[in-house]
Amino acid sequence: MKRVVVERKILERNESSAQKIRTILKNQSVFALNFMSSPGAGKTTIIEETIRMLKDNYGISFIDGDLETDRDAERIKALGIDTVQINTSGACHLDADMVLRAMEKISLDCDLLIIENVGNLVCPATFDVGADKNVVILSVPEGDDKVKKYPVMFNVADTILINKTDLLGFMDFDMSKVKKEAKQINPKAEVIELSAKTMSGFDKWISLIERWISEANQY
Amino acid sequence: MHEGAIAENIVDILKETKEAENIDKIVKVRLKIGIMSGVMVDALLFALTALKEEERIIKDTEFDVTEINVKSHCVLCNKDFYFKKGDDIMLLCNKCGMPLDIIEGKEMEIIDIEAEQ
Repeated sequence: MKRVVVERKILERNESSAQKIRTILKNQSVFALNFMSSPGAGKTTIIEETIRMLKDNYGISFIDGDLETDRDAERIKALGIDTVQINTSGACHLDADMVLRAMEKISLDCDLLIIENVGNLVCPATFDVGADKNVVILSVPEGDDKVKKYPVMFNVADTILINKTDLLGFMDFDMSKVKKEAKQINPKAEVIELSAKTMSGFDKWISLIERWISEANQY
Repeated sequence: MHEGAIAENIVDILKETKEAENIDKIVKVRLKIGIMSGVMVDALLFALTALKEEERIIKDTEFDVTEINVKSHCVLCNKDFYFKKGDDIMLLCNKCGMPLDIIEGKEMEIIDIEAEQ
């Protein structure tokens, strides 16, 4: 019997593809956001409203990951945005190779690339897709216990958006508890409360993206 | 269940290792999985067992997983904090309140293999 030392990262291939994506995007001065949440938290609606507020001043391209259908991509395409759909046919997350292939089918002559991951609060957290920032959305109807239940996902967030705040009066949702737990599992992430229905909180969210883009362009 | 994709990545690395090291049979593989990696060890072992049907290279391979607890560090206080599975993970220093850096607990690695030549 012989012992062979391997010492290799299991996801090394994904890491190197994610690095490739970062290099391509940096060379083109494109800033990329990866949106993650459970299904129904409001990823596509938040992305739609974000695009509406930014598209006059920024070129935007969109990559959508879904198990089936191109319904979300169609919604974004309707805003006049260059869009590509990835159907993962059952896979519960996007990986860097999928995003790399999708990038060949889309205009990178833009300022902002938005990637909408598959709706899932578990699997996408493990796969780096080469974005500059991870945006994790939690919506009020999902409940205020989710941060500690899904620590890996909330730990990889650069910002946590709490959506559907227009429903706060109708739900038992303790906002201070969520913020406290988010601070414990991810002290560096900024938490923004917003509602894609009433648009409250969007000014804060949009200025964060604008700040990120201008910071990225300084280097 | 993303553990299926992770199992496939493990098999890919094993195939490369088998080729490079001129190995006949992989008897045992030792893995290191952090408790904050997002991988459920039981689900990973299930996925690897399911893969045995189609991947002859791991047909008789035993997988041994060591779970790695979270080790975090406060740069200011130069102090380490440890969390094990089931602990309430608090990544704030209890002395100065600064964010802690995760040093261990997110890794996913193949450590080594035992093989017959």
